[in-house]
Amino acid sequence: MLKTLFPTLSRLRLAVQLVMLFVTVYGSVLVGSYMAGKISNALPALSCAYDQMNGGYCVLIPTQHILHHRIGEAMVRAQQLTFSMVLPLLFSFATFFAFFFVIGKAFCGWVCPLGTLQETVGRVGRRFGIGLRRLEDGDLVAARRVRPLKWLLLLGLVFVLPLLTGLGVTPHALGNPYCDICPSRVATTLLTGNTEQLALRVGDSWSFALGAFGDALIGFMIVGGLAIRQPFCRICPLLAFNSLFQRLSPLRLAKTRHDNCGQCRICSEACPMDIEEISTQDGRKAYTEDCTLCGRCAEYCPQDGTIRLKWGPWTLFSSRRDYYKDKVRGELPDGTVKPVRFVRRGEAGNA
Amino acid sequence: MHWKILVLALSTASFAAAAQHEGHGPRGRAADAGVSAWTAQPMLLPVPGGRGERSAVQVRPVGLPAAEVRIAGPLGGEQAFPVEAGAARLRSPAPESGNYHWVSARFETPAHVAVASTVWYFGNPGPAPVDLLRRPKSELEIVPDPLPREHGSYRESEKWRFVVRANGQPLAGQVVRLETELGTRTNFITDADGVATVLFPRDFAPDADGEGGHGRPKAGFVLSTERQTAERHYVTAFNYTYGPDGERGRSLGWGAAFGLAGMLAAAPLLRRRRHGKEQ
Repeated sequence: MLKTLFPTLSRLRLAVQLVMLFVTVYGSVLVGSYMAGKISNALPALSCAYDQMNGGYCVLIPTQHILHHRIGEAMVRAQQLTFSMVLPLLFSFATFFAFFFVIGKAFCGWVCPLGTLQETVGRVGRRFGIGLRRLEDGDLVAARRVRPLKWLLLLGLVFVLPLLTGLGVTPHALGNPYCDICPSRVATTLLTGNTEQLALRVGDSWSFALGAFGDALIGFMIVGGLAIRQPFCRICPLLAFNSLFQRLSPLRLAKTRHDNCGQCRICSEACPMDIEEISTQDGRKAYTEDCTLCGRCAEYCPQDGTIRLKWGPWTLFSSRRDYYKDKVRGELPDGTVKPVRFVRRGEAGNA
Repeated sequence: MHWKILVLALSTASFAAAAQHEGHGPRGRAADAGVSAWTAQPMLLPVPGGRGERSAVQVRPVGLPAAEVRIAGPLGGEQAFPVEAGAARLRSPAPESGNYHWVSARFETPAHVAVASTVWYFGNPGPAPVDLLRRPKSELEIVPDPLPREHGSYRESEKWRFVVRANGQPLAGQVVRLETELGTRTNFITDADGVATVLFPRDFAPDADGEGGHGRPKAGFVLSTERQTAERHYVTAFNYTYGPDGERGRSLGWGAAFGLAGMLAAAPLLRRRRHGKEQ
């Protein structure tokens, strides 16, 4: 039964993504309006607190708020760093890690609503034959050159600016700057029929500038996502946040060396984050900071047991030649699908 | 010399922070909307100026000479604090936890009972306020169903449900009066389930300045209802704040324009490459 419903890992992941998209955008419809407090306010996925119907908040929100409202303000009032200030931050991190321990960076590849929306846009692009652009040498820019951006966003917009705002150094409008530019805030609220987050706050230049940047970012993401896979994920500070802890989670990507590694490169072709190391490296180096544990590299590796998704000592999915052969019949590694052909009934019968 | 500059810089930063925080409003958003000349109903108003101290709040009963103010937490704790110099200093009652707290004050004579109530958000993680709101707290009460969540608030043009209960039972056909600081006066009638669906009036001035959290404007409102039994006359009120429509002060046109600009910036990516790797 399960085999029929979910014949491939991709199909299972799509089903999980759709369910989680519903939970993270409309979750309160199921179990009441306070559900966000029930699941958590420290999810390792971009589940937006501005969406009043969702089922949980992303960890970046309490992080910014605690730095701004608690630690920064308390330092201003010349208090010592006490447990009353540090504990809320530790509580958020501990809750985050409790979730993260179970499925680790798969929150990015399987749960994040913005990731699901970007994949959907990408599928539309592939379906309509829009040429895929890659972040690699010889095309746009090598993915590794873009990687520092997400760390800069995490450091600057999630940690430093909220703290400086709490200290009174920067304007109050910079209290939660990451949320102000986060495309998930606009996308998920639009999905609930609310245009408020798309509208820009006029009268305050900082708020206007941040909101304008966020709106431009989501516009870029929608069109760019037709050609580039997962465009925002490349610079997402939550991916950086998650990758800080990726070695601590039992769920991971494991790769052993094969003679063909670095030559066929089908796994890196399949990777939606254009991670080159998955084909050229093995062991810990193959599991890079950009990996979202989507599992496509394992699905498209034609060698038995070379790439695996593991949880602790258990292998959840392992690359297999026969699985690979079946998989490429329906979808090429870069996501291109066979075009839908419209034929007359008679022709179909003859065929 | 350098340490003097450092001290001066830190002092300036602290002063700037204090100045900023003055306009931010307390974490627990509530009806601190100045004096109560706009209504004769009993209310509980937070005393401004408690910025930075998130574990306590000062509340001033207005319109009833209450001797104490009671606070109930989401985990079941309840505690009374005396009114001294016109205000009561409240802390979350043990077991100390959670965000949503119910605050009430009461004044009674043999013939009359007046109850003022509001809510306070302490900004801590904790349980949903379902049980807190379900528990009867006075003979006649107006209870929000639900309360606004974090990042949410009562706002103009929105409809919110409030349950009127007498001795814990829903009261159908009861008149609930809404009065706002901005001058609106209107009545609602509870349905068979005791629910009054309150439509918040669109009465903010177009150029309203922000005094609430994050510089957003807000104004006080009070919902009140009364009931006469054979023995006594009951008056109960629930007061809080509401804000302007979320899209006031925002421009959807500018938002869409920047969204389109982002799309245009990405458009060159859609062109097929002449050289390079074959797709």
